[in-house]
Amino acid sequence: MNHISRQQFLKTCGAMAAGAALAATGCAGKTSPAAPTARSQPAEPSSGQTYLAVARGDDPAAITRAALSALGGMQRFVKSGQDVIIKPNICVAYHTPEYAATTNPQVVGALVSLCLEAGARQVRVMDRPFGGTAEAAYTISGISDAVQAAGGKMEVMSPVKYQRYPFTQGVDLQEGEIYSDIMNADVLINVPIAKHHSLARLTLGCKNLLGVVSNPGQYHRNLGQRIADLACTVRPTLTLVDAVRILTDHGPTGGNLEDVRQTNTVIASHDIITTDAYAATLFGLNGADIAYINAGARMGLGTPELEKVTIEEINL
Amino acid sequence: MTWRQARRLRQACQVFFLALFLYLLFLTAGANQIPSLANLFFRLDPLSALAVMLSTRSWIPVLGLSLLTLAVTLLFGRVWCGWVCPMGTILEWVSFRKPVLKNTTALEKWHSVKYLVLLVTLGMALIGSLPLLIFDPLALLSRTLTTVLFPALNDGFTRLEMALYPTPWLQPAINWIETTWRGKVLPVQQPVYQHSLWIAALMAGILGLNLLADRFWCRVLCPLGGLLGLLAHWAVIRPLAGTGCSHCSRCARACQLGAIQATRQAIAIQSSECTVCLDCLVECNQNDLSMRIQLPPEPQQEPTLTRRQALGMLTAGVAGALLLANRQSGTWLIRPPGSQHEDDFLASCLRCSACIKACPTGALQPAGFESGLEGVWTPLLTPRIGACDYSCNACGQVCPSGAIPLLPLAEKRLVVLGNASVDRNRCLPWASNIPCIVCEEMCPTPHKSIRLEQVTIQGEDGLDIDLQRPVVVRDLCIGCGICEQRCPIEGEAAIRVYGGISSQI
Repeated sequence: MNHISRQQFLKTCGAMAAGAALAATGCAGKTSPAAPTARSQPAEPSSGQTYLAVARGDDPAAITRAALSALGGMQRFVKSGQDVIIKPNICVAYHTPEYAATTNPQVVGALVSLCLEAGARQVRVMDRPFGGTAEAAYTISGISDAVQAAGGKMEVMSPVKYQRYPFTQGVDLQEGEIYSDIMNADVLINVPIAKHHSLARLTLGCKNLLGVVSNPGQYHRNLGQRIADLACTVRPTLTLVDAVRILTDHGPTGGNLEDVRQTNTVIASHDIITTDAYAATLFGLNGADIAYINAGARMGLGTPELEKVTIEEINL
Repeated sequence: MTWRQARRLRQACQVFFLALFLYLLFLTAGANQIPSLANLFFRLDPLSALAVMLSTRSWIPVLGLSLLTLAVTLLFGRVWCGWVCPMGTILEWVSFRKPVLKNTTALEKWHSVKYLVLLVTLGMALIGSLPLLIFDPLALLSRTLTTVLFPALNDGFTRLEMALYPTPWLQPAINWIETTWRGKVLPVQQPVYQHSLWIAALMAGILGLNLLADRFWCRVLCPLGGLLGLLAHWAVIRPLAGTGCSHCSRCARACQLGAIQATRQAIAIQSSECTVCLDCLVECNQNDLSMRIQLPPEPQQEPTLTRRQALGMLTAGVAGALLLANRQSGTWLIRPPGSQHEDDFLASCLRCSACIKACPTGALQPAGFESGLEGVWTPLLTPRIGACDYSCNACGQVCPSGAIPLLPLAEKRLVVLGNASVDRNRCLPWASNIPCIVCEEMCPTPHKSIRLEQVTIQGEDGLDIDLQRPVVVRDLCIGCGICEQRCPIEGEAAIRVYGGISSQI
């Protein structure tokens, strides 16, 4: 009987591992698009109920809570036992929150608490910065501390978990590589900070979703339409625009306090287009000025006409 | 404690120091504040310390820790090589069954080559040239791990995970791995390194030399081994035979380093070759060999190096340095942030690649011949591969020699690495009337060093196109290169950073 020596055994194992790695290399990227999970959307508010909530006040956490309770409470969006992902804007690791380049940490913290109070199984918070490492950006933005204090979890977005999804409603793009956890989460809460952007004019809810694709650079051609195509596929459950501080120039990176305006406002709705259209007014613009709002409205993603919806304004 | 147990202890030490070496390399990954002992091994390395202090003509306090290694060597001999050096440990483990030169005496005449390497290195250092530090064993290992092995392992592992991820029952395991390891051990973005094949080939060659004889590199070539070997002449405590030697030669056969000459009449252990591995003490039949005190240095041994040889090698080093130093003046190379002058940089860089490992974006790349032979494998900032991160000063934190100064982040953000310049013949809005503002969007400086010129032009179809054309504001640009890295045009970027630490105005 042939005994294999330890050396032979190791060699065989090594060769098999190498072969498997090679085979895997060959397979990677050739899988067919994954089926997007149908994230259940919250029930539309009936007429008379609040469609869009705008809360103003000095305490970012309090106005976040006020906006949510005006919308019928977090339990309208988060059911007991659900898996929640919150997607703030943590685009760079350059500045502390006063510079308004990243979402307000107290707003994110309050959302984490609200989700957990509504019975969420877990609340994860993530973004993929283009400047600096995720770890550094999570820390300097203050979001890491706020999320952990509230009982949520910061997660570094892994290069492994991007998958191709069809953009079934897509006008310009037919498919794209999206972070699969974002697609699979029961609830996705989109928390952009309202900022200046040279090409899109403003970074708001729809634009914030560029952080969940593997190749945001390729969205810059025909940006408005491509962002709308993406938003129609990702479909966040709730969008809350952080306008506690807004960045009026030199976005999205900022770094200049003269460009920051303290507006002490949050704007929230299940309708990403309405939320964005309202947020644009803080900059003296309206929805029609922003290409992705127009494109999204054309695709039926939401309604940009603020006069057609019930807006509840709360001043604390 | 028996010698056998002592040898176990030595092997445990080797494992410990190799593990510590690897651990410290990973300490630099992603962390914003890097512990100051992350470069501990390079601080303990007397070869690079001596060379860089010679070349800069200055005492570098951080590297003073290497005196500890010298002191230990003067006490016990080359324990560094046998107990600590991670490269030595690996070479000890990579042992082939039948080395060609089993007969130890065949290699003996080559033992002095390492002194040649050492003295040429130091001779070159005397006139401010450090290219041979690429052969420092710690630098060799750290460079190979950083640019070859870790990227290959991470890439292979990540691709495997990507291929397996769509399999539902594997997802929990992969999720666990990703949440625990990604961003810590596994980088989110794996930098690729130029010249990694050459770096791999050198290491493969060194490992392959073990086919000729065990630890060939340590015995024949290693300049650090040479330096410690010279000092080990004076080692106070060393393995010595007593009076009961039966001249069985078992010790000589056991010695992996070929440091023992045993004849029927006498036994001599060359302390310059001995790494205090304790094998001979374990093997000794008579229990006659022991660690004994010897003062002053061993009398009967012929000198390792004659004065004439030593002077010749130093001169060769100087001549070599002069030959190598034929690079262009006013070099345009982009060096890590804060480095002041190309010559000063080359005279103080240890080629240890600690900065290359620490750089989170892969911006720092081992150089080829851009700065002549003298600059081989020194760090070069290569924006198209990775930009200098506005939120990072890691390279300055890990640089053991101060070639990259440790600047507080606020100060480092003001350091000008070079200047960006737009190629209007290729830039999308300039050359092709296609809207694009990626460079401006990415620019991290608070007032944006790229201004957008608003124009409306008529397209070929007669319709108006609104364009924003990027223009660099030279006074604001710090040359971080994120514009060049992210420029969406194919091939070479349409906005590029031109640098040169010695040509700044």
